[in-house]
Amino acid sequence: MKPLLLWTALFVFAFMLLARESEPASVSAASLPKVVLHAESIAPRAIEQRTGEMVTRNYAQAWLDLANCVEANRTDLLNDLFTGEAKTRLTRLVADQRKSGLRTHYEDHGHDVKAVFYSPDGGEMQLEDSAQLEMQVFDGQKMIYSSTSPRKYLVLMTPGADRWYVRSLESVGNDAF
Amino acid sequence: MPRIFTLCTLLAVALLAFAQDDVLHAPKTVSAGKSLSISTSGQSSATFYLLGPSHVVKRSVQLGQDITIAANDVATSGTYQAIACSSSCSSTVFQVLPASPARLSFLLHPSRVPVSNGNAINATAFVFDRYRNTVLSPAKVDFHITLPDGPTMTRTGQTTRGITWFEMGSTPKQGRLQVVAAIADANEPRVIQQVASDACHLHMTASPSGRIVKLETDPIRDCAGNALPDGTIVSFTKIDNAGRSTVDTPIKKDKASAQFQLSGNARISVACGVALGNELSVGGRQ
Repeated sequence: MKPLLLWTALFVFAFMLLARESEPASVSAASLPKVVLHAESIAPRAIEQRTGEMVTRNYAQAWLDLANCVEANRTDLLNDLFTGEAKTRLTRLVADQRKSGLRTHYEDHGHDVKAVFYSPDGGEMQLEDSAQLEMQVFDGQKMIYSSTSPRKYLVLMTPGADRWYVRSLESVGNDAF
Repeated sequence: MPRIFTLCTLLAVALLAFAQDDVLHAPKTVSAGKSLSISTSGQSSATFYLLGPSHVVKRSVQLGQDITIAANDVATSGTYQAIACSSSCSSTVFQVLPASPARLSFLLHPSRVPVSNGNAINATAFVFDRYRNTVLSPAKVDFHITLPDGPTMTRTGQTTRGITWFEMGSTPKQGRLQVVAAIADANEPRVIQQVASDACHLHMTASPSGRIVKLETDPIRDCAGNALPDGTIVSFTKIDNAGRSTVDTPIKKDKASAQFQLSGNARISVACGVALGNELSVGGRQ
């Protein structure tokens, strides 16, 4: 009986140790919003698996950065994954929010993303994003607006040296796709 | 009794909420860059907010009067929230749609392409309105293609979600190939250079003079007759008693030349890129 107890204790200890070691990775992964990329109908060029993984990861990180940016009204958070018109527009939004004393809180419940266009030279990729977002807007401490409606975005991403950038992020009507 | 009171309170709150949702009346959709009017009901003063994808407006308003939204406040397409807060907040949502096509972003790849290469050129055009919103409704883009030997042809592409693209092969003649993408008043010209392809029928002649042999190629052209550009490297290789020796030399005025010192009989070959030329046997004095 005693060896059985000892082995059980050892097993439990080892399990706890492993669980503790893997904790930071799961925390980090959990903080990124869930993005599911569908690329079956992409044209004219097929998407490579590695590219799909990179786009998915970068797009999820971009949404995390966006949410933090409009919550804290900090444009420096846009530097890593936004460029072009997307960055210009978000920068303007943050400047306006700061001027008006507003901030926006996003509770991101995930993005169902369909890759629809990948240019022949691999320089641009267009995505349709059906996002599940809770949005709350605060003026100071007062919540002035809250919405849980699903939102749709048309996204253009372009590759950089080591990542895919969000070049355009446009909210579109629910009947757009 | 307390239950009835609670029920009445909940009902009152629900009615109030319902009534307040009716405070603002905006059109469901509006075109980007067009001013609009939001009618309001009520009598009190309130703070009005307009939350757009790239712009926020906050100002004081008097409920019961129309709120005018300036054209530049709705320049960005997307979902907008109009909110009025007095003792409580009420809101309405409307959609700003892209205006008509007015701008193009046009990409033509690559910048240099060998002649007679199938589907080597690709063009992608993005259609925007004057406020840089992607025009989602299908639009026709004309591509005016001017070939190196002069003629111009036009092909038309229809956009899907603001994008149209095409592929084409390069033509047999080297030179400037210009593609102008056009929609409405917007024209975006791009130029690529069609360059000669690989050398074809590469041929050299030798002029021995004692232990020295001078080599010169005929004018180097591709199979379509285009001269390879000056600076293209041609390799002459000699194998004789002294071993193997290679001279890499650039084309100058369509030809390449080199000179070897011979040690006995030599075999000399010439190559340019992937193209191999003729081989010569040259006898040198021992």
